[in-house]
Amino acid sequence: MIARCVAGLVLLSVGGAAAGPSLRAPPAGTISGKVTYTGTPPKMRPIDMSKEPACVTQHPTPVMTQDVVTGPANSVRYVVVYISAGDQGAPAATDTVRYDQKGCLYIPHVAVMQVHQPLEIFNDDPHSHNIHPLARVNPEWNKSQPKGAPPIRAAWDQPEFIPVKCNVHPWMHGYFAVLATPHFAVTDSSGNFSLAGLPPGTYTVTAWHERFGSKSQEVTVGGSETKTANFVLTARPY
Amino acid sequence: MRPQTRWLTLLSACGAVLLFCGATRIVAQEAHVDRLTGRAAAGKPLYTRYCAGCHGDEGDARGENAQWIDPKPRDFTMATFKCRSTPSGSLPTDQDLYNSMTRGFVTTNMPPWVALTPHNRVDMVAYIKTFSPRWRTAKPGTPITIPPEPAPTVQSILRGRDQFQRLECWKCHGPAGHGDGPSAHDLTDSKDDPIRPYDFQTGTRFMCGSTNQDLYRIFMTGLDGSPMPSFDDQLKPADAWDLVHFLRTLQPLKTPELKIWREWFSTHGRELKPIGPEGGGR
Amino acid sequence: MVKRFLKAAAPLATLLCAAMVPNRGGITARSYTAAYAALATRIPAFARKYGLRCSACHTAWPELSAFGQRFKDNGYQLGNDRDSPIWQTNGYWPIAMRTTPQWRLESTTNQITDAAPAGKTLTQAGFDLSGIDFLLLGTLYKDITFGLVPTLDADGTAGVEAAFVRFDNLGSSPWANVKVGKFELDNLLGEKRLTWLSSNGGFLYAYHYLPVGSANNFGFGDNQIGAEFSGHSINSYTRYSVSLLTGDDGEAGLPGGKSMDAMFTLSHAVALGSGLGPQRVGVFGYLGHRPTVFDSIGGASIPGTGSANKSFVRFGATAQLWMGNLELIPLVSHASDDAALGPGADKPAWNSALLEAHYVTNPRLLVQGRYELLRMSKQGDPAIPKTQGNADAFALGVRAYPFMFSRDGLAFHAEFAMTKTIGTVPLSGDGSGVDPVSPATVVWSRSLLLAFDFAF
Repeated sequence: MIARCVAGLVLLSVGGAAAGPSLRAPPAGTISGKVTYTGTPPKMRPIDMSKEPACVTQHPTPVMTQDVVTGPANSVRYVVVYISAGDQGAPAATDTVRYDQKGCLYIPHVAVMQVHQPLEIFNDDPHSHNIHPLARVNPEWNKSQPKGAPPIRAAWDQPEFIPVKCNVHPWMHGYFAVLATPHFAVTDSSGNFSLAGLPPGTYTVTAWHERFGSKSQEVTVGGSETKTANFVLTARPY
Repeated sequence: MRPQTRWLTLLSACGAVLLFCGATRIVAQEAHVDRLTGRAAAGKPLYTRYCAGCHGDEGDARGENAQWIDPKPRDFTMATFKCRSTPSGSLPTDQDLYNSMTRGFVTTNMPPWVALTPHNRVDMVAYIKTFSPRWRTAKPGTPITIPPEPAPTVQSILRGRDQFQRLECWKCHGPAGHGDGPSAHDLTDSKDDPIRPYDFQTGTRFMCGSTNQDLYRIFMTGLDGSPMPSFDDQLKPADAWDLVHFLRTLQPLKTPELKIWREWFSTHGRELKPIGPEGGGR
Repeated sequence: MVKRFLKAAAPLATLLCAAMVPNRGGITARSYTAAYAALATRIPAFARKYGLRCSACHTAWPELSAFGQRFKDNGYQLGNDRDSPIWQTNGYWPIAMRTTPQWRLESTTNQITDAAPAGKTLTQAGFDLSGIDFLLLGTLYKDITFGLVPTLDADGTAGVEAAFVRFDNLGSSPWANVKVGKFELDNLLGEKRLTWLSSNGGFLYAYHYLPVGSANNFGFGDNQIGAEFSGHSINSYTRYSVSLLTGDDGEAGLPGGKSMDAMFTLSHAVALGSGLGPQRVGVFGYLGHRPTVFDSIGGASIPGTGSANKSFVRFGATAQLWMGNLELIPLVSHASDDAALGPGADKPAWNSALLEAHYVTNPRLLVQGRYELLRMSKQGDPAIPKTQGNADAFALGVRAYPFMFSRDGLAFHAEFAMTKTIGTVPLSGDGSGVDPVSPATVVWSRSLLLAFDFAF
């Protein structure tokens, strides 16, 4: 791996030197695919928000729990897909990740970020929430955020899938997926994901879901091609 | 040196270091309280004698009695502690751990260990810090600054009451601090065990002390590992002292705050709107 | 036996003895089994109640650690408001029992028998039982403590070693506590928590010795009936107690009549060094009274009509010093009885000193030794030789606890003890019970004990 790294750097520098004043972007491939499930997923239930009338009014129809959100053709939403091995020293992600508390829900349900990447947590509701990331590897903290308070800024030092909860509203349940890699994606409502900007190489791609566990596969990307990697997670009804 | 010998030497050195690291995990850890230095190696037999029955020989809250205890003993491997002088998410100071051990926790199975000599207690603090790798990579947080307390006045108490309403403490602690707020019954701690919020009307000692300074520290640093969050970002020190003064009026203790409050309340009580969804205030 | 000797020698003593119910704790008036059976306090029920291992309250049970001393001083309340039975787990069985099946050997030299009037060595050896202590201690309510310790001797005799109520933290102050009933005196070196069990090692000469011809029945280590006013600092480093007691050496029924005793203790500890406990020093004093005259009917004494009380004193100083895992317990004391309680016209007086050393290797291994000496400074009758009654006692022991747990406990106990007394029967009661051939005869009494000491 080190040899490859060195070779890559040499190539880059050589390529850069050969290009002269105008820089040619290095070749970047894409891994994309779809995550589906087999088996029987658990049934989601409507959330009872009656403890917080201000949230009940924000949802004309009750919201379902979001532990398992499925889509057409057995697709799974909120699956974090990321490069777990093979990363070649990609530049760190620096844009701020936004996490909202709105209508007594976490939006998005799963927020993905790289280690050290800035995170901003907003309270868009007319009442207090407390943000309580239940980290085990990273430090666990718990902060109150009343209505109208400025966003809470945070960043994480270690990769970890951190469950997030609000103690005042016990149905609120989300995740911070903190990853070592800047190459990550979260599947959409149709279970699709896309990891772009990957230099040529062999990568281990992992798909993680909070209930269905994780699966990995190796994908080799060369040049600017798009490789497909689909995942099938095993669902259980409980 | 020939290359092979050099590698061998390097490898042996690495091996020795690794082997030693296991041993020095304990030996190297120290704690400092007042003028005492505690050493983990001395704390280990004391921990086995006094603590392991609940906290477990590995510090993971799996002592033989842990299963029968509610609330559960502290899991030292997580390095998350309720009673700190440092911000939420940061490690406590040695003094924080020493104070918790000395004071004990009223309404839990953790007794006050004040009868042990200070030296014994500091040694045990040092040993407790060996259970989690975080103590080797992170430093304790910086203790929060607690400005001097202003004298309690009715205005301070009324402002504190407004804070209690605004920050929605009543959602867990209840409008009268009875631990019966709308969210009180579903609370779980970070290990998913049920937990109840403090009931001010019992007047029992707080988890982390009994003075006004302790109370200030509790809600400004939060009780990590529990549903109680930190309000450090949301309260200016003056507001925090107002809240302390108001919270004292919820307890049936002989405090100057309660005396002032009762006098005022007897003539002006009707002006107040109840705390809760109605909005509090006057 | 001692009893027979006293009956023959002193009518007064006979009256007193007859008035007494055999006291399990009073070594002098009983058979060998009593010597080591007077052991009480080590409470697995507390371990079960609070989830603490025995080693939390005891350096090596039954000896108390500083934490256990504070727990006891606080009225068996742990200080976290979780003492009420409603907080207890299903495993909490509130009664604890302690007993010690054993193998032992006793051997006493220079014992007079019919067949050997010049004295011979009497030996007995075999498996034996101790009595059983039932320990019921706890709180009736917050700051109201109770204690009840019924006992069963190995021969089946039942007794009550302790029965008391204590009102703790009066005025919310740890300095004011009142205890009423039958209880152990607040000695810094408590005989009820000795780590010794043998016939010769299981008691202290300093506490139980009575000189030749004494009519007294007092044992400083015996539980007494009365009221105690006591107090302690928050961490129990400073402690005091003042007691008013009935002068019957813990016998119920007021057999003595109207005699009252008084006792005080005072101790202070400092946290010096890094040993297993603070350094404690203390002083104690006991002023007792015993009746010398009884009313009679038909020539026989009427129990409970004692009068003409005469006094006696015991006082001394003791300490508990820690150096790492080594504990040193020195004790010095002086005792004197009124002449009327002795055989002659003089006031008998004696001094004793002892040094006990414990090495608590870890909570599961204790190695210990003790040396004690007692010297008469004045006999009660000039005709009694100066050295008669002097004693030297020596003991060595090991206690190994195969587990240290919070349900119950077991100790493998090995002990060797020997006493040398001059011209009197050994205090253990071993031997033929008859005084040796001459007042200068040196009597050696040895005990070897291998025991399984368990408490549930």
